[in-house]
Amino acid sequence: MQVKYVKGFKRRLEQALGLGASLLAIGLSGCATPPPKSDTANYQAYQQLNDPLEPTNRAFFRFNNTLDRYAMKPVAKGYVAVTTQPIRNHVGYFASNINEPARTINFMAEGMPTDAGTSFMRFLINSTIGIGGIFDPASALGYKETDTDLGLTLAMWGVPPGPYLYLPVFGPSGVRDASNIPAELYGTPMELAPASTALDDFGYAEGGLHLINTRAGLLDTIDQINATALDPYATFRSLYRQSRDSQIQLIKQHDLQGANGAPGTPYYVH
Amino acid sequence: MHFRRFILGAALAAPMLGMIATAAQAQAMTADDAKAFIDQSGQQLVTIVNGGGSPTDKATQLRTLVNQIVAVDQVGDYVLGRYINVATPAQHDKFQQLFHQLLSYNITYQIKAYQGVSFVVTGATPQADGVLVDTTITTPGKAPADVGWDVEEIGGKPQIVDVIVAGTSMRITTRNDYASVVTDNGGSVSALLTAMQNQIDKAASAQQ
Repeated sequence: MQVKYVKGFKRRLEQALGLGASLLAIGLSGCATPPPKSDTANYQAYQQLNDPLEPTNRAFFRFNNTLDRYAMKPVAKGYVAVTTQPIRNHVGYFASNINEPARTINFMAEGMPTDAGTSFMRFLINSTIGIGGIFDPASALGYKETDTDLGLTLAMWGVPPGPYLYLPVFGPSGVRDASNIPAELYGTPMELAPASTALDDFGYAEGGLHLINTRAGLLDTIDQINATALDPYATFRSLYRQSRDSQIQLIKQHDLQGANGAPGTPYYVH
Repeated sequence: MHFRRFILGAALAAPMLGMIATAAQAQAMTADDAKAFIDQSGQQLVTIVNGGGSPTDKATQLRTLVNQIVAVDQVGDYVLGRYINVATPAQHDKFQQLFHQLLSYNITYQIKAYQGVSFVVTGATPQADGVLVDTTITTPGKAPADVGWDVEEIGGKPQIVDVIVAGTSMRITTRNDYASVVTDNGGSVSALLTAMQNQIDKAASAQQ
């Protein structure tokens, strides 16, 4: 019965994701009009921007901003009011630790053996000495965190990022990176444990807490962008793309570094 | 004959010597120089932000300091990007003026959020055009942030040309932000100037 319950939840989630995809398909009708090819400079800029769904993306951006204003941001502010930064750090470590096995698998698929080893050691150390991932002693031992996901693995395999997507609820993404959303739902150690209501509730609680913790960490940054950018949509798009490119560089750098020196040596030393 | 060859050779070599001199000047700033520059500039910033005085006084002091340590004109031209060729000289001047003003407002906006700030220089990496200085900034009640400062030698002294946070460059982000306003308005630079002016007006009324 409980297994069925979990399966039912997953099915509903898949349906929701399917609905999202259908919405996007409908959104295709809201395409940006490219400048004529004869206008070389503007045409090249349009190609480089790679955001043919901009009108639809902007609609979802407005939707998410409304959602954020009335739900996420007030909750995050309340959360900051009742917690201290150390508590928020521990919540962050815990959420990060739960995702570590998925990172190990991704690093192996990316052909980054040192990163995979570091990630594996992090999970081992933080889950035990770090009391279930609440602390991060692995970093102090030289096993620094490097983030990765399925989108970045596909990038390492040469899959181009594809057009920019701004997804309802999930936010900035791309055709390649959207694969992260279903992958992350299934890529936690909880999936290996026998299904139970308690585990399911834990999943909801952990997911919700992680979401609020992340939003809380971004309170000032998002406020600042909204206050200072001329076009916040374009600013978030630029930040997202730069951040993904930088993650790819970091994965390569850290993997190389492990072969040349101690793990966790700051990258500027080499 | 020898003399003529010498003169010709000298004439040919002169521009090269100039180039070598320029190269030597460009290399004059070492990673340690850049680190010392960021350390000193950062301490001045921290002193102003954490010091006494009204917010207006602090804003004025910060504006003066920023104009000394940041190559605002160069950053502005970088941000305007390819539209620098589209803008008329008058528009370019207006852009620079508005860009300076906006930068001041954006910095003033941050003062309150960074109360109690402290920082340490953690390293420096030579780059093609300058040095990237790494720092860790700690603000009470917030997670520490790693911030990189791109320092280049401009006009014979080190100047900040970019700020890197979590792999994202401030000047690239701003360039993309501004370019979006221009392309949304059919490539019009005057639309960008209007948007910048509106933003300044909005910031000015919010700070009153």
